Amino acid sequence: MTNPVIEVQNVDLEYVIRHGRATSLKEAAISAMKGINLDITVSALTDISFTVERGEVLAIIGHNGAGKSSLLKLIARVLPPTSGVVKVSGSVAPMLELGAGFNTELSGEENILLFGVLLGNRTTAMRAKVGEIAEWAGLTEQIKLPLRTYSTGMVARLGFAVAAFQRSDVLIVDEILGVGDAEFREKSKARMKDLIAGGEATILVSHDLNTVESLATKVLWLDHGKQVMLGGTMEVLDAYRKA
Amino acid sequence: MSNIYDSSARTNYFKELTTNLWDQRDLISLLVKRDLAVRYKRSVLGLLWTLINPLLTSLILWMVFVHIFKARLADGSQFAPYVLAGVLLMTFFNQAFMQASESIASGMGILQKVYVRPHVFAFAAAISNSVNFILGLFALVVVTIMVGEGISLFAPLTVLVILCMLSLTIGLSLMTSILFIRFNDSKNIIVLILQLLFYLTPVFYPKDILNETVRLIVSLNPLSSYLDIFRFVFASTGKATLFDWVYMFSTSTIVLLLGLTIFKRSWSKTVVMM
Repeated sequence: MTNPVIEVQNVDLEYVIRHGRATSLKEAAISAMKGINLDITVSALTDISFTVERGEVLAIIGHNGAGKSSLLKLIARVLPPTSGVVKVSGSVAPMLELGAGFNTELSGEENILLFGVLLGNRTTAMRAKVGEIAEWAGLTEQIKLPLRTYSTGMVARLGFAVAAFQRSDVLIVDEILGVGDAEFREKSKARMKDLIAGGEATILVSHDLNTVESLATKVLWLDHGKQVMLGGTMEVLDAYRKA
Repeated sequence: MSNIYDSSARTNYFKELTTNLWDQRDLISLLVKRDLAVRYKRSVLGLLWTLINPLLTSLILWMVFVHIFKARLADGSQFAPYVLAGVLLMTFFNQAFMQASESIASGMGILQKVYVRPHVFAFAAAISNSVNFILGLFALVVVTIMVGEGISLFAPLTVLVILCMLSLTIGLSLMTSILFIRFNDSKNIIVLILQLLFYLTPVFYPKDILNETVRLIVSLNPLSSYLDIFRFVFASTGKATLFDWVYMFSTSTIVLLLGLTIFKRSWSKTVVMM
């Protein structure tokens, strides 16, 4: 028997929200002296369990604030679970909106290098890929210019391209199929299908149920951090549409 | 499978961190290069610009203390290289420490999306400032020769001071970076403390003009030992005692280990708060 690629067992995640006023040392010191605790603990995820086997595509659905992004962050190792266990075999490529983390003073080329290396590639390997990535994103002419001269759409395209040229075992996709114009969206959807076919396992978050229907092999439905349903794509989507 | 992540696994933190830093050497060198490129590209004078600040500060201190207060060093050596050495080392300390502290806070956008050890940002920021310090040493050589003094044969030992300073500033910055992320007014307090430290280090005054109590306080400031050693190995100015060497090596090691430990404990709580 082979182990699942991703294994999530009874995971809880608690967020501590700092009360608006306690963002300064002075206020924190005063409230500490008065014995007031301004932190509020919020449960973002409660008792989540699922596995993703080799070749599976798991889609996570639910309304805003259901905990979808938090769950992705747990699998991407960005957040540690408060309790429970997360196990992932293999390298993880997060296809989150990378564009938001780009440095606007650096050129497109330098951002490609930096993020490629951040995702675990060697500098020389990335340098060889820069031209290809820029061309794919349709940014060959602008690639030496600083990112602040780019439009929002161009940054988003670059973000997708950097992530899409990353070969990894586990793919984490957060709502980035809606980037760019219709033509680019088609292109990125095709690329995504390639990546899913080439990888070990995929986790996908989307509000677009048609995308989920066409890509997912199983679906996890979250509501307010709780696991409502886990099962086959059509089964869960039908229940979700009725709800 | 090559890499397996298990959130419940108990791993050796320090061993894992060392491996991780080595794996991330490309990232660190890229961050250092980026930092230096941004700094030197933005000004017309480029490289010279970063030297102007310590040179001007030293010039002012030199004029005030030599020509107004008529300060003299006990062993008769020149004041100008003495001040410049002090200013260069303190600039290294201040900037490496501040930039390393800020680097983690400003890297939060990346750290919330991609799994990367936050430490790499602090290491990169400190290392890029050590490059600035080394460039400053060329200015120090020029000034030392201009006043008719020589460079010591032991000058290459300055590399030990640099390594200890890196370890010290990285350790300190790991502690303060958590403060920087959580409290937006913590920077003001740190800046005040740095100013106090500057006056408690014999940058522009000789230690022997101080009375017993003040001299003891100044000697207990670890930076005084770093500076004494730096001046002694670089141009045989003043003296470095065995206490200075022991103090430098022990503070740099202890502060780094302490910083790593504190950071490890607070980081997971802090990243969840964002």
